[in-house]
Amino acid sequence: MSRQAQRKIFIFTFLIPTFLFFGIFTLYPISKGMYISLFDWSGSSEHMTFIGLDNFKEIFRDPIVWTAVGNDYFLVLGKVIGIVLLATFFAVAVTRFRIRGQQFFRIAFFIPNIISAVVVGVLWRFVYNPNIGFLNSFLSLFTKEQIRIPWLGEEATALWSILWPSIWAGVGFYFLLLVASILSIPPSLYEAAEIDGASQCRQFWTLTLPLIWEQVKVSILHIVMTTLNGSFVMVLLMTEGGPDNSTQVLGSYLYQMGFRQFHMGFAAALGVIILILSLITTVILQRVLRRDAIEYS
Amino acid sequence: MKIKKILFVTLIMALVLALAACGSKNKNDESSPSPTGSTSASPEESASSGALEASPAALTGDFEIQYFVGGYGDAWWKDVIDQFQKLNPDLNIKQSAGPKINDQMKPRWIQGSPPDLVYIDGAGSNPRQMIEDDQLLDLTDWIKEAKNADGEKILDVMIAQPEQYGGKTYNIPLVFGSYGTFYDKALFEKNGWEVPADFESFLTLSEKIKAAGISPYVHAGIYPDYILGGFLYPAIISANGDNGDILKDMGDMKEGVFKSEPVLKALNQLREVASKGYIDQGAPAINHTDSQMQFLQHKAAMIPNGLWLESEMKNDAPADFKYGFVPSITQAKGGKYIALPYTSTMAVAKKAKNPEAAKAFIQFIFTKQASLNWAEKTGALMNVKVDLEASKAGETAKNAMKYYNSDNTVVAPVVVFNADVFKVMGDATIALSVGKIKPEEWADRVEAAAAKARK
Repeated sequence: MSRQAQRKIFIFTFLIPTFLFFGIFTLYPISKGMYISLFDWSGSSEHMTFIGLDNFKEIFRDPIVWTAVGNDYFLVLGKVIGIVLLATFFAVAVTRFRIRGQQFFRIAFFIPNIISAVVVGVLWRFVYNPNIGFLNSFLSLFTKEQIRIPWLGEEATALWSILWPSIWAGVGFYFLLLVASILSIPPSLYEAAEIDGASQCRQFWTLTLPLIWEQVKVSILHIVMTTLNGSFVMVLLMTEGGPDNSTQVLGSYLYQMGFRQFHMGFAAALGVIILILSLITTVILQRVLRRDAIEYS
Repeated sequence: MKIKKILFVTLIMALVLALAACGSKNKNDESSPSPTGSTSASPEESASSGALEASPAALTGDFEIQYFVGGYGDAWWKDVIDQFQKLNPDLNIKQSAGPKINDQMKPRWIQGSPPDLVYIDGAGSNPRQMIEDDQLLDLTDWIKEAKNADGEKILDVMIAQPEQYGGKTYNIPLVFGSYGTFYDKALFEKNGWEVPADFESFLTLSEKIKAAGISPYVHAGIYPDYILGGFLYPAIISANGDNGDILKDMGDMKEGVFKSEPVLKALNQLREVASKGYIDQGAPAINHTDSQMQFLQHKAAMIPNGLWLESEMKNDAPADFKYGFVPSITQAKGGKYIALPYTSTMAVAKKAKNPEAAKAFIQFIFTKQASLNWAEKTGALMNVKVDLEASKAGETAKNAMKYYNSDNTVVAPVVVFNADVFKVMGDATIALSVGKIKPEEWADRVEAAAAKARK
């Protein structure tokens, strides 16, 4: 066997299994999902009826879908702003301000990431519990009467109450990402800036931010994608989409329709909508966030 | 170079192993239908053996039973299947059971090679959907005549009769229980509160409890099943002159039934209770465990729930807690109690390979003896009338049984709602209970959902 052939075999041994698994576990389910979205199917029956695009028409007529889309983007926006701001702030504080106990903060912020989403959900359910919850007990310290706000049970507060735990659970990872990226900036740049008399604030805007922008961008995109695809976990754990569907997101509505109300075709169509929305949002964001790469040498 | 080679070999091995794993799985999948295929002759054999009651021992071939294992455990199942096996030594019984069995067996139902007999319970199961999917055998004629192993007619020994879909019977209720309103006898005695016998006394009592600084009524807003089963349905039946047929009409989604007067009257009762502040403010936000904890901690005095409550909260109840149960609290003065039953049912698959064995098994288990066995092994009630006093069934179950045997109690029919209608009904009920919508809007929403489901 020639070296060339050996090399090729070597390369293919890496590519083929990967592609095979990608095909089986990603491409096939996506195409199957698209296929099912064209059928009226209960998800448990032997029989499927082809109905073309009727599921999609139904989706556009369904007011809950529109609520869900709105809620999805509320969570996306809230999480992007909350997580990126907090993560950047903490990362700068830990790296640039030479705070004592850096190591402690790194671990402390990362802990929520190690906890599984289910535990986070249940934990925060207790925080929000109207009668025995931490939040109401805490607030009651400042009032004469016992506060008994059903945070997750009122339409005005329910979605906001899901947002905070999502931010809390998400900050740690992006915090570490940004810390690593700030630490990779050569210290000589900061020294030069200081000699030139740049304030900390100035240093942040002209040095730190441009140089970590790639990581910020990746963070934003990652938050957007994971939120659109995964926020249903928190919703299902904390409110099940209620009260009166006011906290429903597309993912939780998909689950509700597919596995509880036996409209698997409709659910698959919702899945296709989630896919399309994620793609569009990501592409738009890529454009919006594009900046010229900055390198100081 | 050597390292490269080792890496290469390892990768190849990994790939081969992965493929082999896939391959063997496929083989398994194929092998499971094949034994059933080979026994396709068995129904004929057993059919030729004549009437079942005459010689149940004649059963042969394969017989597969699917049962969900949840709060009731599997001790009873293992026991009765063991007995059935001893009676039919030539029958090859396969048990497909577990807490996730509904998901695990789903592919089999979709592919059209279901088990012979199924006990429908647990998440991901809905008998109504199985009927709509044309998966269950029509048992209408068979159940009319079927006798149990003791020679009694099965329909005669049942507490709740089988539900009917379009006049046909597909599933046989195995577990029996009922919704109702629970309270702590000890707490009531301590405060001198009287157990409500009708809606009026419920309101008076609630006012007293509220004045004492306790929430009169708490329910699990995340799962509206509780307030529907413990409050709204009984209220509707009471308002319909104690006639449970209206619930059947609701289940059948008859046009206009959700706008009918009894329904609106019941909704207004709920609205009254809500607007007077008798329902715990936190209710919409909490699930069943939260609401039950609140009840056990005396932060709420009454709770709509099911007979399983006592065993579910066994480890959490304070030592002096004494469960009290009243089937309904919404009837007019002097009106009868409405007991709203819930059941978990059994059914024979339409594509069962051995339906005779499945039917024989049903006949075998619908006996008083099996029922007592069930009560002792699970602490709950099986759907066969039996004297519980001597048994080890829970206090609540025994108390409840007294109500069912009383002339002053109407046992409502068992109805399983269309999943879409049920969801809308639950959402609307919670919305009504917080004053977001009016009863008329409730009716409009549910009528619209029913109209859509009828198509």
